[in-house]
Amino acid sequence: MADYKLTELMVVRCAKEIKDGEVVFAGVGLPLVVVGFAMVTHAPNMIMFTEGGAIRATAPPGLAITVDDPALFCGADATFGMLATMAALQRGEVDVAFIGGAQIDKFGNINSSGVGDWSKPDKWTYFAGSGGANDMATSGKKVLAIMPQDAKKFVNKVDYITTPGFLGGPGEREKLGMIGGGPTCVVSTMGVYLFDEKTKEMYLSEYYPGQSIEKIKANCAWDLKVSPKVKETTPPTADEIKILRGIDPTGFYLG
Amino acid sequence: MDLDKRMSLKDAVAKFIHDGDTVYYGGFQIAVPMALTHEIIRQKKKNLTTVESSTDVGGLDLLVGAGCVSKIHTAWIMNWYVKAPYAIRRAFNEGKLERHDISNFGATSALIAGFLGVPFIPIRGNIGTDMLKYNPMDLKVIEDPFGTGKITVVRAWRADVAIIHAQKADRLGNVVSYNTRGVTDEFGAMGSKRGVIVTAEEIVEPEDVRSDPDRTIVPYFKTLAVVHCPWGAHPSASRGYYGLDIRFSQYQGRYERHAELLPHFLDEWVYGCKDHAAYMKKYVEKFGQAGLDRLKPVLGFKPKMDIDYGYHDPACWKGVPMYTDDRLKAYEDAIAAKKGGK
Repeated sequence: MADYKLTELMVVRCAKEIKDGEVVFAGVGLPLVVVGFAMVTHAPNMIMFTEGGAIRATAPPGLAITVDDPALFCGADATFGMLATMAALQRGEVDVAFIGGAQIDKFGNINSSGVGDWSKPDKWTYFAGSGGANDMATSGKKVLAIMPQDAKKFVNKVDYITTPGFLGGPGEREKLGMIGGGPTCVVSTMGVYLFDEKTKEMYLSEYYPGQSIEKIKANCAWDLKVSPKVKETTPPTADEIKILRGIDPTGFYLG
Repeated sequence: MDLDKRMSLKDAVAKFIHDGDTVYYGGFQIAVPMALTHEIIRQKKKNLTTVESSTDVGGLDLLVGAGCVSKIHTAWIMNWYVKAPYAIRRAFNEGKLERHDISNFGATSALIAGFLGVPFIPIRGNIGTDMLKYNPMDLKVIEDPFGTGKITVVRAWRADVAIIHAQKADRLGNVVSYNTRGVTDEFGAMGSKRGVIVTAEEIVEPEDVRSDPDRTIVPYFKTLAVVHCPWGAHPSASRGYYGLDIRFSQYQGRYERHAELLPHFLDEWVYGCKDHAAYMKKYVEKFGQAGLDRLKPVLGFKPKMDIDYGYHDPACWKGVPMYTDDRLKAYEDAIAAKKGGK
């Protein structure tokens, strides 16, 4: 079995959620690595969108560190800007919105604004803010999230809803006129989660090699439901790792 | 008209940025107007409000940390290389900073509304979130007057003055930028009330700009000052000129992290440097020319299409008789005969 890092397992597993031919809008961080990897492996016909405005049919020539990285513009198909890529989101043309976050609840609502009590300034720790995550998750047909997991991050109620999941439950997105379908898959540092079609609640679908369901439940603040078909995640192959390390040779994102 | 708008960084900031101004803060994760940031700090401008969509490398964090800004409207503020906006976090905790949060496209749309000269614009995002709850100044939900249901609207942002960094500008103030084209710089700049201060890697001739006007993001009439400022976005990247200085962003970020340390960074790198050239000289003295050499971009991405923006001279029609045929002529003759008959 290949020797791999946790981030590499996450990236390869996440990439498998992308189908060939899909329009994928990638946020900053690991999503940039995942889409680059998907494009050179099983999804050569994928279309890559970023907030910086590059629209690409091919993987960038080098690792993109930012969403407006010059590498993303070199050899792009169009670089009209955020206006063009975000407009495509609003027209409902983006298949997969791919984001990160700091906190998530069982309905897939994501917080990337901060933790504490916003109304008491001295009790609030600011993070970066929404960036494009809110726009992406509101209007993307599917939403894929990659994020760290512990009981303070997988919480009953996020301290701030930056990015809507299913809000309070089934039907709420529709009531507000959101055109996107809401979250579909969450890849954490411990396992992989899907959403129940009826209840819209997030459940454990896969656990990583070396993890256990008990340990994962202990790192989730709500009473986590587990798929009856739960299984261990297939680790990345030696070939996959080689390709991945070629994309991020210094380990800027992979560590 | 040939009004030369070139001036020093010091004069541009002294003349065109006033205490209490709302400033459009240019760039995104690249092309952050760092030289202008430092100069605003040097001149101890106060009580500024900033509007932008996303901003990286801690430029705005420095501006807040130095006490120049009291209100920010933003989607995302980071020094990504230390994974936090530390000075902003502290200023908010101490009640010294108002922060109004919105999504990236919310911010860009607010700037587009300002660009369009309309009071607000509808967008799909932000609905259902706490941004709507805590930022009623910029965001509301209304019923679509045309009957499709609920829709978010964002208030137009019109800055008093815009600060941006570009690759090229001419002395008249035409700005050529191919950084993150269409992110927000053209909207934020054009929507500003008084106009734009631009730092540019290179000053070019107006006839060079006019040979490729598709690349002009700000036309001269909107520009207040042009500052020739190589490395003006450092430590962020300037596409085609230099890459992101990750190590310096981390170095600066480690100072931003600690309230006791930040003043030392400002003393050494901002107050202690009379201009941006002095800052770059200090960089070479402290971290070596090798640090800057490392930032050289991979080049060889010049356009391959030979584009000629040709025009046509209508003088060629002089003396050419009207095109006609028997059917058209007969019809027109009949109408003329009828009119003549009356």
